[in-house]
Amino acid sequence: MKKIRIYVHVPFCESKCSYCDFASFVCGEDLKQKYFAKLVQEICGCKYKDREVQSVYFGGGTPSSVDEKYIISVMKCLRHNFTFSNNAEITIECNPASESLDKLKKYRELGINRISFGVQSLNDNTLKFLNRRHTKKDAVEAIKDAQKAGFENISADLIIGVSESQEDLIDSAKQLLNLGVKHISAYMLQIEEGTPLYNAYQNNNSIVPSEDYCVGMYDRLVVFLTERGFCHYEISNFALPCYQSQHNLGYWRLDDYIGFGLSAHSFVDGVRFANSNNFNDYFEDKNITREVLTAQQKIEEKIMLGLRCQEGVSIKDLLNLGYDIMTNPNLSNFVENGIIILQKNGKTPDKITINPAYYGVSNSIIVKLLP
Amino acid sequence: MERLKKIRNFCIVAHIDHGKSTLADRLIEKTGTLAKRDMQAQLLDSMELEREKGITIKLTPTKMNYTFEGVDYELNLIDTPGHVDFTYEVSRSLAACEGAILIVDASQGVEAQTLANAYLAIDNNLEILPVINKIDLPSARPEEVKQEIEDVVGVPAMHAPCISAKDGTNIEQVLEMIVKEFPCPKGSETEPLKALIFDSYYDNFKGAICLVRVFDGTVKVGDKISMMQTGKQYEVTEVGVFVPSAKAVDVLRAGDVGYIAGSIKTISDVAVGDTITHSANPCKEALPGYKKVQPVVYCGIYLVDGSKYNELKDALEKLKLNDASLEYMPEVSEALGFGFRCGFLGLLHLEIITERIEREFNLDIITTAPGVSYLLHKTNGEVLEISNPSKWLSPVEIAYVEEPVVKASIFTPPEYVGAIMELAQEKRGISNGLVYLDKTRVRVDYTLPLGEIVYDFFDSLKSRTKGYASFDYEMAGYMQSELVRVDILLNGEKCDALSLIVHKDKAYTRGRAIAEKLKKIIPRQLFEVPIQACIGNKIIARETVSQMRKDVLAKCYGGDITRKRKLLEKQKEGKKRMRQFGSVELPAEAFISILKLDNDE
Repeated sequence: MKKIRIYVHVPFCESKCSYCDFASFVCGEDLKQKYFAKLVQEICGCKYKDREVQSVYFGGGTPSSVDEKYIISVMKCLRHNFTFSNNAEITIECNPASESLDKLKKYRELGINRISFGVQSLNDNTLKFLNRRHTKKDAVEAIKDAQKAGFENISADLIIGVSESQEDLIDSAKQLLNLGVKHISAYMLQIEEGTPLYNAYQNNNSIVPSEDYCVGMYDRLVVFLTERGFCHYEISNFALPCYQSQHNLGYWRLDDYIGFGLSAHSFVDGVRFANSNNFNDYFEDKNITREVLTAQQKIEEKIMLGLRCQEGVSIKDLLNLGYDIMTNPNLSNFVENGIIILQKNGKTPDKITINPAYYGVSNSIIVKLLP
Repeated sequence: MERLKKIRNFCIVAHIDHGKSTLADRLIEKTGTLAKRDMQAQLLDSMELEREKGITIKLTPTKMNYTFEGVDYELNLIDTPGHVDFTYEVSRSLAACEGAILIVDASQGVEAQTLANAYLAIDNNLEILPVINKIDLPSARPEEVKQEIEDVVGVPAMHAPCISAKDGTNIEQVLEMIVKEFPCPKGSETEPLKALIFDSYYDNFKGAICLVRVFDGTVKVGDKISMMQTGKQYEVTEVGVFVPSAKAVDVLRAGDVGYIAGSIKTISDVAVGDTITHSANPCKEALPGYKKVQPVVYCGIYLVDGSKYNELKDALEKLKLNDASLEYMPEVSEALGFGFRCGFLGLLHLEIITERIEREFNLDIITTAPGVSYLLHKTNGEVLEISNPSKWLSPVEIAYVEEPVVKASIFTPPEYVGAIMELAQEKRGISNGLVYLDKTRVRVDYTLPLGEIVYDFFDSLKSRTKGYASFDYEMAGYMQSELVRVDILLNGEKCDALSLIVHKDKAYTRGRAIAEKLKKIIPRQLFEVPIQACIGNKIIARETVSQMRKDVLAKCYGGDITRKRKLLEKQKEGKKRMRQFGSVELPAEAFISILKLDNDE
């Protein structure tokens, strides 16, 4: 049976964070109702129902911000239309401010087995700067509630590059680990055009620390988490053994996935397509973009995504796509300088990975390894 | 009246911006050669670049008909460039004329090139008609300027027409004086053909076109002609005149200015200055012709995208078709790959050629710092001429070095003499004295190394004299100098395309400035990039481009992949504008930037 992963987009939030440029909206119940009705309809009409679901991911937005009845309806619809594999990973993103023990219990009953909390920081000043709705206390409580509700696989997001000290960041991480969090996603703050933060930054560049300082934050976090037994399995993701996000690994391994909802992206049989990010278009199935990957693009994606991960890119896979990466002179140069690690299977080179010390500049490395 | 008596061949010479092209336009308009509606400003400047820069580069002849006192005259005007780089082209057109209009700006008076061009005309035995232009300006002082012309240039000027070419004032008077003052051509239609090639250009359909002045005889379609210097023979396929666009006529006769086409495949077969005659009935001796012009400024031209080498070669070949003074030969640089070392008449010429390559041939090029040609006297007595700094010899092999120098005359209001002397001193100039031309003008004479002029002399002169000083120079041989090569090392490797020759006393400051500049221009890379400036093995400056720490640590999930891939593709495209030198990536600007140091510093 062919396999598939499912992403469900919940584009609603209770408030907009200062740095957010995702398809997420603060809006009324009517629209939510209409949206989830459409979502269910979209799932029912899906062409790939014959596939076995490996993982489901509710992302947003803030999936936890909507009434749990909507999540229930979606989950029921998914189960009704698809076969799930036994150990399917089902994740929901939660905002520490919008959870309740009751809600978490309901999620657990639905078979959701992984929670990703948008903690960002356990420093109240930082949270305020980001215009997050929760406090440190809320975050700590949320994680404890999730554990009470029976969740063991808990992930927390951390943000890097806000005006806090490197110590503050490590302190947040330390507390999360002490709480029993099994997975950390750490993102560098991106100042995107059109966000309130962007405007503030234009007026005053010093509202965020220097690039070097941010990289220092990242480096310290990497050291801290590795020392605590976390594996750095992707540029911005860390997990205790066996707690890697299977769903996200799927993206980087180029597994097929289907996205439901506003602006949701899918990748099936070498074709990428995406729903519109406009509600009206989405409701009428308009403006769906579709891109059949060329051989060149397949190679590009393979390298770009594979090198983000500790497991790297298989040289043979690239050969099968028609690219002998070993002939790229930049590769030998990188290997010589310890930037790229050549993993060998016996005597033959098998995989290439980026030396984690160079993750920060992965883009520049990847660009030079493309065919 | 005899036919020749009704012909006047003349050119217009002037200091740059004194209004040559504008007067040419007015003459064409006044004689009805073109209807007013067909006129566009600076008609004869046909190159886009010429119009944009407001300068004339190529010679452009025009035939006009003018009726004076009931007689129809044929006036052949040859417009000339005014910039010092193109003095050579001016002298070419002078040999085709009997008279020269010398335009002088009514407020600025005699400038450096007024004098230089006037002397060229006098040397060619041309009758000179001074014309005072821009009398519409509030600051015009025509009577004083007339006096200045008499005092400084030494030609009678009291009768000079005072005109405004812009407003069309007194143009008629100029036309009358052309007829009255300028001698008619001499020569005979019955003598064997003798025609001077004063310029050439390439036409995609007709082949190489010779611009000629016929001195004796006649030439028509079907005639068998031969070039006396190259010995090549052709059959004439078309003869014509410029009105101002090319127009075929039946025959060109003695005294005429026009063109000859003969299915000439390559422009290199047309030597400007050569004499055309009939193969069957050649004239006894060729016209004196011209001295071959020598380039004085050199630079390397390379491509951003190295795979387009053949296109660059093609572009240079095509440009050479219309510009005999352009010289180029293949050269290889470790840093820049395959390219050409090109010789130019001056910096403006260099700028024009490089701009034309980019615009007309759509090629992204990298030019190395312009330099001059040095004479290296080796300890074993050999002498080498070197224009590419990377060919410089090691100090132990060099007995001494000579660099080209020029005799420069700078015309300036007296208040800037101090500033000019200071500048000349900085540029290692040797004073040749100072002459007060009148109360308001001084001529300052210096012998200057050409290498210093190439560097940034013009800009400095302009800024230090608020644009009031004008400048002209002529080559004046070589002078022994203490010169050294400053090399730039990137990540420990010498980048040949960044080397340059500098006077030993300036090497240290220049080296430091270049290192600082490069630090600003080279983007942070995966490695730390040390930049060193050195002379031989001695390091005189060091800077470091620190290692890049972060390009992106953003997340990349299902919805980000397409966008991310596109970003990557764009970055990859951008890399093409970068030059890989060892492990260092250099932006194309790096090579030019070292020229522009003084403007920033």
